[in-house]
Amino acid sequence: MALAGIDALRVLGHFRRSDEQIRSRYLAENHVLNDIRSDVYVSGTYVRDYLLEPEPKRADVYRANLEQVRKHMEAALDSYGRQVAPAGSEHYTALRTELSDYWSILAPVFGWDAAERRRSGYAFLRDEVFPRRQNMLALAGRIADLNEQQLGAGNQQVVSLLVSFQTRLLLTLMAALALGFGLALFTMRKILSLEGHARLQYVKVAEARTQLKELSARLVQAHEEERRSLSRELHDEVGQALSAVLVELRNLSTGLGIRSEEQSRGQVETIKGLVESTVRLVRNMALLLRPSMLDDLGLIPALKWQARESSKRTSMDVTVAAELDSDELPDDYKTCIYRVVQEALHNCARHSHATSVRINVEQAQDRLLLSIRDDGQGFDAQHTKGLGLLGIQERVARLGGTCQVDSQLGSGATLSVELPIHVGHRKLENRSGDNPSERVRETDTHPVG
Amino acid sequence: METTRASASVKQIRILLADDHTVMRRGLRLLLESRPEFAVVAEAADGRQAVEQAATTRPDVAVLDIAMPNLSGIEAAQRINAALPDTAIVMLSMHSDEGYLLRALKAGAKGYLLKDSAEGDLIDAIKSVRQGKTFFSPEVTRILMEDYIREIRTRGAEDTYDLLTPREREILQLLAELKSNKEIAQLLNLSLYTVETHRRNLQEKLNLHSFAELILYAVRKGVIS
Repeated sequence: MALAGIDALRVLGHFRRSDEQIRSRYLAENHVLNDIRSDVYVSGTYVRDYLLEPEPKRADVYRANLEQVRKHMEAALDSYGRQVAPAGSEHYTALRTELSDYWSILAPVFGWDAAERRRSGYAFLRDEVFPRRQNMLALAGRIADLNEQQLGAGNQQVVSLLVSFQTRLLLTLMAALALGFGLALFTMRKILSLEGHARLQYVKVAEARTQLKELSARLVQAHEEERRSLSRELHDEVGQALSAVLVELRNLSTGLGIRSEEQSRGQVETIKGLVESTVRLVRNMALLLRPSMLDDLGLIPALKWQARESSKRTSMDVTVAAELDSDELPDDYKTCIYRVVQEALHNCARHSHATSVRINVEQAQDRLLLSIRDDGQGFDAQHTKGLGLLGIQERVARLGGTCQVDSQLGSGATLSVELPIHVGHRKLENRSGDNPSERVRETDTHPVG
Repeated sequence: METTRASASVKQIRILLADDHTVMRRGLRLLLESRPEFAVVAEAADGRQAVEQAATTRPDVAVLDIAMPNLSGIEAAQRINAALPDTAIVMLSMHSDEGYLLRALKAGAKGYLLKDSAEGDLIDAIKSVRQGKTFFSPEVTRILMEDYIREIRTRGAEDTYDLLTPREREILQLLAELKSNKEIAQLLNLSLYTVETHRRNLQEKLNLHSFAELILYAVRKGVIS
């Protein structure tokens, strides 16, 4: 736009200058031409006066005047000659020759005495001076016409310049307009897309927030559910069984010495059975709450146990491959990984229809990598986020780790967890007395292979 | 009376009992002392005590609960085994999982009993380990064998036992019965060098890295019980 403006100004300036030039030239030429014309007239008058003047003194004055006029005229002609346009040069030379002829014709006249002037003066005037003067005037007139023509041409030039300028201005304007329009369109589109993006983001955030709210509500609910089932199991199963044991023991003690030994033995067997099943129940509950082998044997044996239990309970073949610098991880790490695996196996068993699950634990310098891969039906990892996965994410995030699910419908799922391990966290003292630097390497392919 | 009986039966087995639950300990003691061939010479309520008591009383058999405070039964077993190689160790556990069994075997235990059935099997177990044999709760053996069979089936894996030659199987069984290479050589009328070669080969074939794994394998395979 600025460029177009500058261009327009420049063209305008050029236009103004050219117009001025043409006008001033025309005026100057016209002025000189008028001078020449008036000089021609005046010279004619002086010639006439000179020729017709009987008084010699006065005639000399006219003659001197005539000389003056001639000088003036020649100066004017010279100055005109300097600025004459090429188109007018022909007329100019004609005028010049005519003028010099005029003066050369006049030259003998100045030698005439008063009698001769009186005798042939009028005839000379009529036959020589006036026609020549007429000729010169006509020439000057033609030159003036030419000048006028040139002015006209100049005006034409200016007009055409103006027209071209107009076209140019129009084009520039159109271009500027088109450019501006394009820019506006582009900006608009950009703004619209940004706005759309922002709106989408907002919707996503809002969705995530409601999802989170929902999930945390479900988490609380699940927590409560778990407590309820624990309480019910403690009360209904353990409590009832122990009450039954108490009743049987009372019966036994009141029947001592009264009932036969065989009867008493039967009662004892009943009590034994009750206690055995209660012990099993309590152990299972305790294991569910926290498997003691996580503390007793460490992470890998606990994971393997879990894998075996899961294999037993479900139709999945669960294997564990582990490579750790030391099995002595900090407690919260052990618990985290154990729970993540537990939850993942739970999910696999419930949703995936997998036939095999592969658990991999690996230590890489300052990171602990866990992956759980199944060959099940997969799911849309982008849009499905269950309670279990949320729990996993929370556990992992609490230790500063990251967690990622890769899955597509029909092609299994992989849960990858990465936990940072600080060197200070690693217990170098190995409780079991093994060489701590020994790399614990175990694969689940049991000794049988 | 007590002393005469003790001196009369020279073959009495001297036992250390370690369990953090007094009731359990008392029950087991009652059970053992009902047999004249057993003498409970020391009791311990945690792992550290067990190690100390073992050092002072030098028992024939140490019965250790696997889950004890201060020092776990596994660690106590390890220390006792290191200090007193002649003391046979029986581990008491709530767990039938092979992870515990392997740990116990690595720690030097020769017997592994589930607490539920301890009262039924303890006497047999103590007698077995005293004779230098292994003993595992039938429940444990059953579970391990079942696990093994299920794994072979679900994974379609090759049963590595089929890879063994009859001689190697023979040697595997004898090894699992805690026979030394020398004893095996004598029993099978082979040179010690041949036995060692067989042993190396079978461990390689079965991918077993320790003696404890070898025993576990034998249990899982049902070679010993």
